[in-house]
Amino acid sequence: MTDGPLIVQSDKTLLLEVDHPDAEAARRAIAPFAELERAPEHIHTYRITPLGLWNARAAGHDAEGVVDALITYSRYAVPNALLVDVADTMARYGRLTLEKEGFADSVDGTGGTQLVLRTTDRPVLEEVLRHKKIKPLTGERIDDLAVVVHPSERGSLKQELLKVGWPAEDLAGYVDGEAHPIELNLADWHLRPYQQQAVDGFWHGGSGVVVLPCGAGKTLVGAGAMAAAKATTLILVTNTVSARQWRDELLRRTSLTDDEIGEYSGARKEIRPVTIATYQVLTTRRKGVYTHLGLLDAKDWGLIVYDEVHLLPAPIFRMTADLQARRRLGLTATLVREDGHEADVFSLIGPKRFDAPWKDIEAQGYIAPADCVEVRVSLPGGQRMTYATAEPEDRYRLASCSDAKLPVVQQLVERHRGEPTLVIGQYLDQLHELAELLEADVITGETPVKERQRLYDAFRTGEVSTLVVSKVANFSIDLPEASVAIQVSGTFGSRQEEAQRLGRVLRPKGDGRTAHFYTIVSRDTVDADFAAHRQRFLAEQGYSYRIVDADDL
Amino acid sequence: MPTPRRSLADDIRGRSDSELIDLVLARPDLARPAPADLTSLAARASTRASVQRAVEALDRGHLQVLEALVVDGGDPGDLGDPGDPGDPPRAESPSSSADAVSRDGERLFTLLGAPTKGERAVVMALVDDLWRVGLLWRGDHRDHHVVRTVPEVLGPTVAGLGAPIDELRPSLTPRHRDAEALRATIDAAPAPSRAMLEKMTWGPALGVLPPERAGTTTARWLLENHLLVPVAADRVALPREVGLALRSGRLHRETTLLAPDVTTRPVSLVDAVAGGSASELLTHLDELAAVWGAEPPRAVRTGGLSVRDLKGTATALDLDVDRAAFVIEIAYAARLVADDGEVVPVWAPTSEVDDWSTTEAGHRWAPLALGWARSTRAPHLVGRKVGSGSSAANALGPDVQWPAIRGIRREVLHELAALEPGQAPDPDALRERLLWRRPLRPASVLSDALDAVLREAEWLGVTGRGALSAPGRALSAALPGPTSPRARAVTSGGSPDGAAQAVAAAMSAHLPAPVDHVLVQADLTAVAPGPLEGSLASFMRLAADVESRGGATVYRFTPASVRRALDAGWTAAEFVDTVRRSSRTPLPQPFEYLVSDVARKHGQTRIGGASAYVRSDDESVLETMLAARELAPLQLRRLAPTVLVSGADPRVLVELLRDHGFAPIQEGQDGTVVHAEAPRRRAGARRRAAPPAVSPVDADFTTTLVAGLRAAEASADERRAVEETRAGPRIPTTDPIVTLSLLRDAVAERHGVWIGVSDQGGGVARHLIHPHRVDGGRVWAIDEGGHEKSYSVHRITGATLETP
Repeated sequence: MTDGPLIVQSDKTLLLEVDHPDAEAARRAIAPFAELERAPEHIHTYRITPLGLWNARAAGHDAEGVVDALITYSRYAVPNALLVDVADTMARYGRLTLEKEGFADSVDGTGGTQLVLRTTDRPVLEEVLRHKKIKPLTGERIDDLAVVVHPSERGSLKQELLKVGWPAEDLAGYVDGEAHPIELNLADWHLRPYQQQAVDGFWHGGSGVVVLPCGAGKTLVGAGAMAAAKATTLILVTNTVSARQWRDELLRRTSLTDDEIGEYSGARKEIRPVTIATYQVLTTRRKGVYTHLGLLDAKDWGLIVYDEVHLLPAPIFRMTADLQARRRLGLTATLVREDGHEADVFSLIGPKRFDAPWKDIEAQGYIAPADCVEVRVSLPGGQRMTYATAEPEDRYRLASCSDAKLPVVQQLVERHRGEPTLVIGQYLDQLHELAELLEADVITGETPVKERQRLYDAFRTGEVSTLVVSKVANFSIDLPEASVAIQVSGTFGSRQEEAQRLGRVLRPKGDGRTAHFYTIVSRDTVDADFAAHRQRFLAEQGYSYRIVDADDL
Repeated sequence: MPTPRRSLADDIRGRSDSELIDLVLARPDLARPAPADLTSLAARASTRASVQRAVEALDRGHLQVLEALVVDGGDPGDLGDPGDPGDPPRAESPSSSADAVSRDGERLFTLLGAPTKGERAVVMALVDDLWRVGLLWRGDHRDHHVVRTVPEVLGPTVAGLGAPIDELRPSLTPRHRDAEALRATIDAAPAPSRAMLEKMTWGPALGVLPPERAGTTTARWLLENHLLVPVAADRVALPREVGLALRSGRLHRETTLLAPDVTTRPVSLVDAVAGGSASELLTHLDELAAVWGAEPPRAVRTGGLSVRDLKGTATALDLDVDRAAFVIEIAYAARLVADDGEVVPVWAPTSEVDDWSTTEAGHRWAPLALGWARSTRAPHLVGRKVGSGSSAANALGPDVQWPAIRGIRREVLHELAALEPGQAPDPDALRERLLWRRPLRPASVLSDALDAVLREAEWLGVTGRGALSAPGRALSAALPGPTSPRARAVTSGGSPDGAAQAVAAAMSAHLPAPVDHVLVQADLTAVAPGPLEGSLASFMRLAADVESRGGATVYRFTPASVRRALDAGWTAAEFVDTVRRSSRTPLPQPFEYLVSDVARKHGQTRIGGASAYVRSDDESVLETMLAARELAPLQLRRLAPTVLVSGADPRVLVELLRDHGFAPIQEGQDGTVVHAEAPRRRAGARRRAAPPAVSPVDADFTTTLVAGLRAAEASADERRAVEETRAGPRIPTTDPIVTLSLLRDAVAERHGVWIGVSDQGGGVARHLIHPHRVDGGRVWAIDEGGHEKSYSVHRITGATLETP
């Protein structure tokens, strides 16, 4: 029995004792195949999943290495069943491969290439070909070990194969796309080491997902990938604001000029060598038809970048299935999807190519340290009675919009006067009330893009130090100097929202100040229950948080 | 069959003490009840029941040799010359026993296809083993004879071979005088007939004639040439002689005299893995006790655990159903849970569980492992349809009882123990080996039982990564060995307690060291990086929910779990203190906040029990009651101005209040007035069955037994010698009633009577008497000396009339 830092549990979680001298070595050994699930202060929890193991296989690790890592660092004997399971699962990846093969046409003697699903193990091919959903995706049999696949079914086939537990390794390669010169403009900056690693990891893997925390510079990883591809690029982002920020960032960081970057959104429909499109415009339907699908074929794209891949709407997955011949880069802060579509990300975008724990990047000084505080307020007597007798569906709103929160927000804003402060909420009434009280501007979904841009710019320059924002600000707005966030209400217990909001304050500050993240909740209500859920996420990400009473502020 | 010069009885009487001990150890059924002397031992050894047992215990090697011996010498049709395979039977005079040794051997070797010297030595060793277990007896010239009952037990078809031709049709004149003739006939058979013969060659030797014409024609040729013999209208048999000729003189298609090798692969960390599994099982049992202790599941009518409760338990333990059933059955086998025997019976932990937490882990494991090895219950049957039952077997139910599983477990353990340490067997090879060991056991018995046993052994920690662990080896040593002619049953000399000690000690060395601390983190989890010790373990189980199990345990503090601890009587301060003391790391602030938050709300609403209330609209009456000193024993307490409660029984309350001048009446639950009766309750007496006492047939016992037999034999010889010298007939033991009537007849007919009278020393004296009166339980008679004497009838062991 060794005295290793790792404990392997029977539910396939791995507990890593952080303070152990071998912890770092063990972390490096298990990171390729185990997903970091929780990273509180002493013991980190990793989970072994089939997807994780296949990710590892895709990255070139073999079962022996995985088993070896487990046995080497494990404190107690590793259950044999688990080792067997790991080996079995990993052996499933790569039994089927998608390849491009030349063929000679028997009719006119001309040749060509075709996409072929090939196996080294005939029963596996027989098994999958008998599947009702897989059969129609394949064409004629070439021999016992191979079958023709129509190029357009490449994505759907990979998706279905993953569902039946036989993920195919995609070796069919990528089209180069239309070449377009893109260089990084490295005069006054350079890629951080982990960003460079992410770009390299992606480029060598071909397609895949890069996982980086908010504020760690995902846009730059995208730019790096574009510079590596030197081809026309389609960038898919969540909303217009985000699109503008990508554009600004690309102009600043690369050799691209204003004329080379197009925006394809509700407002503008430009198609240029680098085109930035929003999810929303792509998923717009008229009479049941996606009207903007043509964009995907408008150019011979060499690279497709998916920003915030964990938010990618299901229809885009379907469209993406047709884009399998192009390089795809997914950028995200978390692989966790509240809708559970992780497997689609794996099969359609690609395996995870780079991942770094938040805390590590924070420790390297690239994102700001954060101080998370939960402030508890008591509902006044009258409201408590109203709350107690309210219908269950109204309770959350009642609790989170309590008047009792207002003075606390005011007090906090007062305390951090001068620092860029965001007040984030869910309910418009409450936001307007707060804006009035704090004499600050409000940004909601109704605010025109121009106005939003103006306010953001003002906030960035320090002209405005306090903004009240609704959940439109959750995604992809870049407020470099926000150092205080006050959350008054949220979308129930969404972990992903919590990550995004925390991301608002994690961007590195010029002076290395600590960021503050306050959540104000009403005691003894569902608000507190949801808050607990969200905080658990924070604690699991390694952020210690405190709980204080409003009276003790 | 040549007339035996001697018998099994003679053989056994001629065996040495150590040979006798071997015999009884190999066939323990001979010793129960202890036979009177060696003659009766021999008689018992040749009973059908005992021979059946002995034959069933044979492995394939021994069985094949025995079959060959039966075919060889078991009937009049003798086999031809040695070294001439394919030699057909000849009607020949029985060989003289003088050349039986060599001829025996040669024919045997041919039958078994053992031409080389080495193989012959193997056969001879096997023959020797069969003699040792008393299935063969030896004549004067070391010629071996099969015990008479063996062919009966093996049945009419030995190794798929039919009966000899003259047994099938005694009247038939054999057409083939010798082997050449038979072979020539067979070679001359037309192709379809030949195919038909080949179909029957390796058995069964009985065939049903095909209804088509073609088939009938084919068969007719064979029948006419006496290669087949009709036994019924549409049935034919292949005579033994023809069968052997077709088999080229060999008896078995494949002769496997030696056990097939078990292929193995080396594995490392066996003991550590086993220790881990054992530790996990102990945790599961702790949790099972906790879950069932709090909410014992109902026992269903047939005595098991309902499917729903099993699923619930599986969910509570975070196991799949199969594994949960195993944990439950193990707990039952180790008597940690039992049916409580109440009117509505439930499955509850037994009082053994209470000592459990203070017992060292190895000593907790030993009874589990021993219980498993000794149990006749097969957890893998849970959830399957067993036998004729229409519904699936319930855990703890009667359908899970399957005695064969115990034998399989032991065999598997012994096979594993025979391998080098650190070698894991290939399951298929192991299955082959077990089939070889017990060829007469239906193969279906092993079908999934073997897999189940291997899986259970792994769960239990008896094996680790497929190889037997050190504790598993200790367990195997503590069990009685298999009864086979070669591997003799040798039980451990020590007491059962000693066995448990050894097993416990072996496991203790490999269990993960217990830890006495947890690590509490900001996400409100606490991780115990190893098995927790007694009181801390139960505290953590109470105070937090288990989230992940294995080498370590991850606990999560939730409002519900904290409330549970507060409900159990912990105060917030104690709670935080205990966690702080047990934690290696400083407590995160949210944890303390959680506890105080729950504590703040805890107990705002109060609930209590009272067995009676007193209500009155007149508050002053209640005041008086509260003030009355004589009513103090009632412990009246005021809940509201017009309500008092008391812990006393309502009837007592009514009585006492009446005695003190109040005039209460009693209300029923619906508020109506009731008149109470005095209670009359009885508790049922409980009987407990005495535990069964097991005294194994072991070396000590057998040695004593054989010594006794030897002495008995000696005294029997002596008695025989004495009896031969003295006058008068043998006096049978007769019933007193028979004796009395015989004596009365003798009185009436003035006949002489030989009687046996037990004297004061316990011996039996013989007298020839002429009785003349039988009265009042005594008989008056004239004895040999002409003296008048009287005898008590109850002293007379037997009587027989004097033969003139």
